[in-house]
Amino acid sequence: MKRIFATYIKEWQLIRRDLGGLALLFLMPVLLITIMALVQDAPFKDYKDLKFEALFLNQDKGKVSQSIKEGLLKSGQFILIESIDQKPLDLNLTRKLVQDGSYKLAIVIPAGTTAEIVNSANQIANEIGKKVGIPGSLPHRESRDSLSIDVMFDPVSKPTFRVAILNAIDKFTTRIQADIVLERIGKLNGGEGEGQDTSFNFEEKLHALSVKEVSSQQQKQKISMMNSVQHNVPAWAIFGMFFMIILICENIINERTQGSWTRLKLIPGSFSHILIGKMLFYVLLGIIQFYLMLMVGVYLMPYIGLPSLHLSETPFLLLIMVWSIAMCATTFGILVGTVFKTTQQALPVAAMSVVILSAVGGVWVPVEVLPSILKNISLISPMRWGLQGINNLLLRESCWQDILQPVSILLGGSVITMVLAWWVENRRKG
Amino acid sequence: MLHVKHLVKQYPNTEHLSVDDLSFSFEAGKIVGLLGPNGAGKTTTISILCGLIKDFNGEVTLLGCNVKTKLQDLLHKISIVPQQIALYPTLSCKENLMYYGRLYNIPSKSLKIMISDYLEQFGLHDHADKQIKNYSGGMKRRANIIASLLNKPELLILDEPTAGVDVQSRSMILQFLKDFNAKGNSVIYTSHLLDEAESICDEVLIIDHGKKVIQGTPQELIAAHQTDNLETLFLKLTGNTVRD
Ligand SMILES: Nc1ncnc2c1ncn2[C@@H]1O[C@H](COP(=O)(O)OP(=O)(O)O)[C@@H](O)[C@H]1O
Ligand SMILES: [Mg+2]
Repeated sequence: MKRIFATYIKEWQLIRRDLGGLALLFLMPVLLITIMALVQDAPFKDYKDLKFEALFLNQDKGKVSQSIKEGLLKSGQFILIESIDQKPLDLNLTRKLVQDGSYKLAIVIPAGTTAEIVNSANQIANEIGKKVGIPGSLPHRESRDSLSIDVMFDPVSKPTFRVAILNAIDKFTTRIQADIVLERIGKLNGGEGEGQDTSFNFEEKLHALSVKEVSSQQQKQKISMMNSVQHNVPAWAIFGMFFMIILICENIINERTQGSWTRLKLIPGSFSHILIGKMLFYVLLGIIQFYLMLMVGVYLMPYIGLPSLHLSETPFLLLIMVWSIAMCATTFGILVGTVFKTTQQALPVAAMSVVILSAVGGVWVPVEVLPSILKNISLISPMRWGLQGINNLLLRESCWQDILQPVSILLGGSVITMVLAWWVENRRKG
Repeated sequence: MLHVKHLVKQYPNTEHLSVDDLSFSFEAGKIVGLLGPNGAGKTTTISILCGLIKDFNGEVTLLGCNVKTKLQDLLHKISIVPQQIALYPTLSCKENLMYYGRLYNIPSKSLKIMISDYLEQFGLHDHADKQIKNYSGGMKRRANIIASLLNKPELLILDEPTAGVDVQSRSMILQFLKDFNAKGNSVIYTSHLLDEAESICDEVLIIDHGKKVIQGTPQELIAAHQTDNLETLFLKLTGNTVRD
């Protein structure tokens, strides 16, 4: 126990003077978390929360295009631009501005839209009138089917963005068409206003059934939806913990090349005490680092305009989870430090492997969106399991069964890693 | 005290033997010099003696303990001062010594007293809290020796303890070895400084190419080969070719 504690103290004295190492350990993850949370803030937000500048080329000038315009403005999602430098838009200019990326999208209402929609509304109204026995007929002609509201997108815009915008516009136009149909039916019976019950709100009835997102969780007050902070803070905190392997393998290689290792081996008693002391130190360091990063998520994020991190309601399970991630990172560092002879060899490998494991492990983007081959590869990334366990705890109301799999995989991985390191170390002896 | 029989060591992936059928023995209570040119096999032999190298042929018994079977017992009684400074460069001398002392399970109170005494003896008392990396070469050597004294060894094995140190440090180290030996302890030390060995060794063993060349007291050897000093004898026996 004394020997373990002595080693622990020694590691602390070593790291205390290693300013570069400390910066790597604490400053780097804070920076990563902050930057990544900010960068990924937009993609994580639903498009409905964002406002887009859209070119609005209205060639119709009728009542319908006016309603569409008002609808788009009222939705709060669009800023409509109808002229550039006091010059009204035309089709060519609109095309050019979207093509060169000056604007993300353009909405073109073709001439005759009002006439066309009124015409088809009249047809529908006549048809309904006939069926229910209301006399009268509204004037109409044959429909044209070539007419459409055109939406142009910046060529580099993402498919999800296009779909979201198209859906939104489609929703407005459908709604306006429905309103016109209702109005036409009202007109069937002759005069405006007379036969109409003003207290009856067609629109409200029509939209009585709406769709809205609710939490799948039991607790009603905590709707912890995935956002940039909720993804990036744990992900980059885990990444930071694995970056600790750089310190560990540097520590081990230095110890070996600087000769202390020789002395340590010549001191009677079990070498495991020294190893346990070392592991204990780094595991604890990793845990402290992780919790500090969570604090950054909770307290710092609101200062830069991001939501605060929602923490787990099961602190003990979280601690177990964090502990097993730290175990895995520490043993991985010990293995790398054992395998390589010099820090020049080890450090690039350590850094690269952490970056690769983080990429396939869902730190950069969630595992769900990775291609299936990477999804399979991600199974060997300890960061994937770490992140899965942490997300289970932070986002879902998890109980211990939910972290059983990640915890056992991480701890199992640690044991395998240590056995490997032991094997390598024994082979090294001349 | 030390019996070595038919010691053979070949490192993996090398063609020649680093230690080639080496046999010798020494009595306890002496200062023994293990001498030889660079690459003669001194460090290899020492590493085998203290159990650092486990894969070798032959039999080694130190202080009644077979290195292969009773290493743990042996390690309580001997200590090695490695050729390399085996201390943490960014820790202070005191922190280094406290750490190694604690690993020997020495109670804190007596450890502190012991460290303070040794620092005084080796002239490092005023530099106890300085980081090792800021020490001069001679100071590092002295600190390196102190770290090997914490378990109060009966036998101290030193690998080139005086290589590349200033005159003052060297004389301090040699004086310490004499005092240490005067208390009834044994010393084995390697060197390629022949005048130094001649002056403090009770007995020397010269090896070259992993083989024993000659063994005896410096005076005996000089007389038997009709040379002026150990150095000319050494050159006579090991040749003039430069070793790397
Ligand atoms: N780890 C090693 N691997 C391979 N060869 C080694 C190793 N250590 C030493 N040798 C070789 O063994 C021989 C003896 O080396 P060493 O014992 O260090 O000599 P000395 O200490 O007398 O200078 C040399 O030829 C050296 O090249
Ligand atoms: Mg040597």
